[in-house]
Amino acid sequence: MFDNRRIGMALAAPAVLFVALAFLLPVAVLLSGSFTLEAGGWGLGRFTDFFAEPLYREVMWRTLRLGAVVTLASAAIGYAVALAIVQAGPSWKGRFVGLFVLPLMISPVARTYAWIVILGRTGILNQAIVGLGLSPEPLRLLFTETAVFIGLVQLFLPLMVLSLVSALENLPADVVPAARVLGAGWLTVFWRVLLPLTREGLVIGGTLVFTGAITAYITPAVLGGSKVLMLETLLYQRVSVANDFVSASVIAVILIVMSVVAHAVLKRASAARGR
Amino acid sequence: MRAAGLTVLFAVLLFLLGPFVVIVAAGLSAGDTLAFPPQGLSLRWVEAVFGMENFRASFLLSLELGVGSTLLALLLGVPAAYGLARYRVPGREALRTVVLTPLIVPGIIVGLALLRHAVVPLDMPVTLALVLAHTVLVVPYAVRVVTASLENLRTDVEEAAVMLGASRLETFFKIVLPNIRNAILAAFILGFVTSFNQVPVSLFLTGPGITTLPIDMLASMEFVYDPSIAALSALMALMSMAIVLVAERLLGLSRYV
Repeated sequence: MFDNRRIGMALAAPAVLFVALAFLLPVAVLLSGSFTLEAGGWGLGRFTDFFAEPLYREVMWRTLRLGAVVTLASAAIGYAVALAIVQAGPSWKGRFVGLFVLPLMISPVARTYAWIVILGRTGILNQAIVGLGLSPEPLRLLFTETAVFIGLVQLFLPLMVLSLVSALENLPADVVPAARVLGAGWLTVFWRVLLPLTREGLVIGGTLVFTGAITAYITPAVLGGSKVLMLETLLYQRVSVANDFVSASVIAVILIVMSVVAHAVLKRASAARGR
Repeated sequence: MRAAGLTVLFAVLLFLLGPFVVIVAAGLSAGDTLAFPPQGLSLRWVEAVFGMENFRASFLLSLELGVGSTLLALLLGVPAAYGLARYRVPGREALRTVVLTPLIVPGIIVGLALLRHAVVPLDMPVTLALVLAHTVLVVPYAVRVVTASLENLRTDVEEAAVMLGASRLETFFKIVLPNIRNAILAAFILGFVTSFNQVPVSLFLTGPGITTLPIDMLASMEFVYDPSIAALSALMALMSMAIVLVAERLLGLSRYV
């Protein structure tokens, strides 16, 4: 650690100034617009107007609901998968973890487009449904909340799995056998031992999945369309279709508040874990 | 229990990776419409994609944007990470938080803010705004990855070098830089992939004529029903996979994700 403050500041200054000018300033100006009133002055009038609109309330509610359901599903699947990975032995573990990192680096557009081929009217799933006689005609699977749900889980599940794997790795190796020897069933082991001991990992994974899901654009845009709007697709639509920058800045504030709150939770969880 | 666990694991991997198999197969179709299973295999649509002028232009823009903004972000981020990790700068945590905030703010807001409050009032060219937006997005990755690497590097070697008469600049280039080289490469790859795949940040900053590849693909989805977008998706997926596999071999990239 060097004491010369001026060198340190000079090194940090370009990045800090850049982020402040190219990012913080324009975003702050954009957000402040939502607290102005049409008659002049400041207030929350634009927010009450926004929430008075039934469609917007529905979109907001759907965004939160999808965020919650996607997070819960990822947690449930994530625990099963992470336990299997941790138990698979050291040489396999690395490979499995790699298989969960890989999809994270692939274009979400490409990842989402695959679901059109799978869920479309003539897609493979509908071929199977009709072929098996489950339904006389193809079902409408695309442009439904279910399609958006499936797409979001596929996009964000790896984040949950990776957080849970690292939480389970830090678990002392003998807690599970010890609990078993003492007569606990698997469900008890999970609820009373594994869940409390991996809580921070769950919170970290959960926050990443939740913020990812509520701020997703590509998945609702491609798999939900204008029928299943989420906050980001609504924001885009308000600007591109109606030039409505007022609603857009209100949605921006809502998204940022949700995102900042989620990250505060994340920060506390990772501080508790000592990372 | 173990068998059950492995069954779940493979089922989930099928759910995560199966769609890639589908998209690659659909992109290799010989037929005229998007379908899985494909109507015969051929490279017809892969070739077609390479011949499409609009995709070639947007691919080039994405490539330039990815390389340019990541280099710019490293130029800003590496000194910042070093300065904040090694010098007693007042308000260190606050400064680091400022540099990392772009991670918290949804990209679509960054794009909208730049459009409304930089491009329009300052008459800024959209391409410059795109570079700014993507650089803002990549700076946190550069700072985070390089900081993590600096924290693992012992400081006494640097202190010894300075005490033995090396200048600060010499110390950085001869002692520190060789040690954090892999982290910088990993940050470059992570930054490039992030920028290249990015959609929300660029949504409001692109339009007909100036557009990035993922946004061009999104826009084309609405009226293209042949396998060309599937072929393009498959190519993009394979490109990312190749980059990631090489990076994993050379640098152990998954440590930094």
